[in-house]
Amino acid sequence: MDFTTRHNIQLYIYDLSRGMARNLSPIMLGKQLDGIWHTAIVAYGEEFFFGGEGISSCPPGGTMLGPPDTVVDLGETEVTEDIFMEYLSSLGESTYRGDRYRLFEHNCNTFSNEVAQFLTGRPIPSYITDLPSEVLSTPFGQMLRPILDSIHIAPPGGHVINGGRNM
Amino acid sequence: MADQGAADPGNNNNNNKPEASEGTIIKVTVKTPKDKEEIAIAEDASVTQFKEEISKRFKAKQDQLVLIFAGKILKDGDSLSQHGIKDGLTVHLVIKTAHKSADGGSTSASSSASAQAGSSSSSGPSTNPTSTAGSNSSAAPTAQPPNVLSGYGDLASLAGLGMGSANFMELQQQMQRQLMSNPEMLSQIMENPLVQNMMSNPDLMRQMIMANPQMQQLMERNPEISHMLNNPELMRQTMELARNPAMMQEMMRNQDRALSNLESIPGGYNALRRMYTDIQEPMFSAAREQFGSNPFSALGGNSDSGAQPSRTENREPLPNPWGPPNASSSPESGGGTMGSTSTTGGTNPSVSNPLGINASSLGNGMFNSPGMQSLLQQISENPQLMQNMLSAPYMRSMMQSLAQNPELASQVLMNNPLFAGNPQLQEQFRSQLPVFLQQMQNPEALSVMTNPRAMQALMQIQQGLQTLQTEAPGLMPSLMTGGIPGVPTGGSVPTENPAPSPSSAGTNPSQQQQQLMQQMLQMFAGGAGGGSATTQTPEVRFQAQLEQLSAMGFINREANLQALIATGGDINAAIERLLGSQPS
Repeated sequence: MDFTTRHNIQLYIYDLSRGMARNLSPIMLGKQLDGIWHTAIVAYGEEFFFGGEGISSCPPGGTMLGPPDTVVDLGETEVTEDIFMEYLSSLGESTYRGDRYRLFEHNCNTFSNEVAQFLTGRPIPSYITDLPSEVLSTPFGQMLRPILDSIHIAPPGGHVINGGRNM
Repeated sequence: MADQGAADPGNNNNNNKPEASEGTIIKVTVKTPKDKEEIAIAEDASVTQFKEEISKRFKAKQDQLVLIFAGKILKDGDSLSQHGIKDGLTVHLVIKTAHKSADGGSTSASSSASAQAGSSSSSGPSTNPTSTAGSNSSAAPTAQPPNVLSGYGDLASLAGLGMGSANFMELQQQMQRQLMSNPEMLSQIMENPLVQNMMSNPDLMRQMIMANPQMQQLMERNPEISHMLNNPELMRQTMELARNPAMMQEMMRNQDRALSNLESIPGGYNALRRMYTDIQEPMFSAAREQFGSNPFSALGGNSDSGAQPSRTENREPLPNPWGPPNASSSPESGGGTMGSTSTTGGTNPSVSNPLGINASSLGNGMFNSPGMQSLLQQISENPQLMQNMLSAPYMRSMMQSLAQNPELASQVLMNNPLFAGNPQLQEQFRSQLPVFLQQMQNPEALSVMTNPRAMQALMQIQQGLQTLQTEAPGLMPSLMTGGIPGVPTGGSVPTENPAPSPSSAGTNPSQQQQQLMQQMLQMFAGGAGGGSATTQTPEVRFQAQLEQLSAMGFINREANLQALIATGGDINAAIERLLGSQPS
């Protein structure tokens, strides 16, 4: 009776720059960035991520980005799928609406971090969450900020959970 | 929600105290997707009690509450301490809603609707750079970026732009091919206000250039380049040139004309040509290896020619303002013969040539003239030069007469640009003079002179000083305090790298200055004491080890030296360090 199903939670990490960041960042930014990371949480056989459209889900590796560059095992959770979906829909109505997307401060990695902590109690690797501040601390990043702020990253291929909130 | 919070804490505390069995109250943060509340509860309370509190605070039924901590669902029968819930930690809460099950069905229906709605804010895989540029320009104040940069609009769509290759080499070649086939592209890029903005910021440019490891290497070998980079006026000029191809052509023509004038100078032409090749080739190859559309490639070729005028002009004052006795001067002033290695006897003109140049650039600070630098370069590359110069018979007699005549020696030395503008250093040196001169005759010291690594180290010091001068001009005079005796010079001197110096200039200037002083003085004055290792530079100490390492194939002398210094001369450990730090 004490049997609780455990679900494995994974973090899919994609490099949006396809390797360009690793090579160009020393020249352009003055510091080494190994990639421009986009992350998604994979749980219950589905991949969940936050983008310009809000929280989306798709089959794992099913966005246009293709298979992930890195997969990190975040551990296990006892949270069931329906509790999780409940949680996601609450998130999607509040802090993770589509219009709340901010490339630097409130992006896919923020979402992944929060979900990871909810599910496993542990955050995602810090090099991912540190990326915006790393970029912004270079003069180049500061210069590009107005342009970048207007970018919404939303890898096509997912369908939005609780969509219809792009106000 | 706020009202709740205000009213309840009083109740909570009252309720808790009688219930809790001498447990301390801890504050646990309960976080829902929309909300966050801090709940005070007894440390040893059960989950049920906790849920009671929560249901009051969140106005939800207890059985609707699902508490999650560290990936575990807190069941009613558990206790908080069982799960390790302590003061200040966060527990996640999900409030089950009755019609939650309907959500699962409706997601697919709403998703298609929202997908259409959402497509306007992101671009599909069928990359439309114009559409992304369009969405960008509505938000960004700058003009519409050209093709290349519109990829920024949606990074995910870069794959569609044809840059999908993860292999950087391929990508680079692609870019180059595109650039070659479409000369318009480069000018397009140039015209982009973003790029122009970038290029008009000399600090940024310099940072970018210096961050490139190839450039760093290049700058080490050719200090003129770092000199050029650090001169903001020159940078601006160069960037103007890069932007304006017509102006560039004009400048090149001037260069060529100036260069052709040089040919008439005996001996000068050969050296000039050699130096030109030294600098030009690595510059170009470094530039070529970079990103094809990188405007720096133009910059790279230009900067080399940009350095030309300063060098050629320095060659003008050929007549020797120095008398024959001054031809010797101190060895580190780089009295190497230019181009003529073995002609020792009557080569006063050629020996004094560099000194003549230096005379014209007096007051520029130590080693600051490009002529001097290139000489040092030559010397460090060709220890034979130094050897020959020092062993020249007339040199010997010169040394002897200098040793016997301290007056003359001091005069000579003081006039040496090395010490020009440094009265304190002159004082110091004057006091050290007799010993110094003794040292000159000491073959050991001479061998240090011929040690190319020592010369390299000196060059690096000098580069660092140069950077210092431009970075912190006010700093130089204040640092000439003669140094603190006994400052350990050691490893940081040879490893001083001009490339990251903008950041390190602020931290190491005093060290550098002092080290320079100390090193030189110790080298010459202390060497007499039976060659005690403590006063000799690490390079001298580790000379044997360095040779062993280079015989084994570790050709990076700088890295070898660093490793040796770090391991205190232990070759095996140094090798491990070197292997461990090999770039993968």
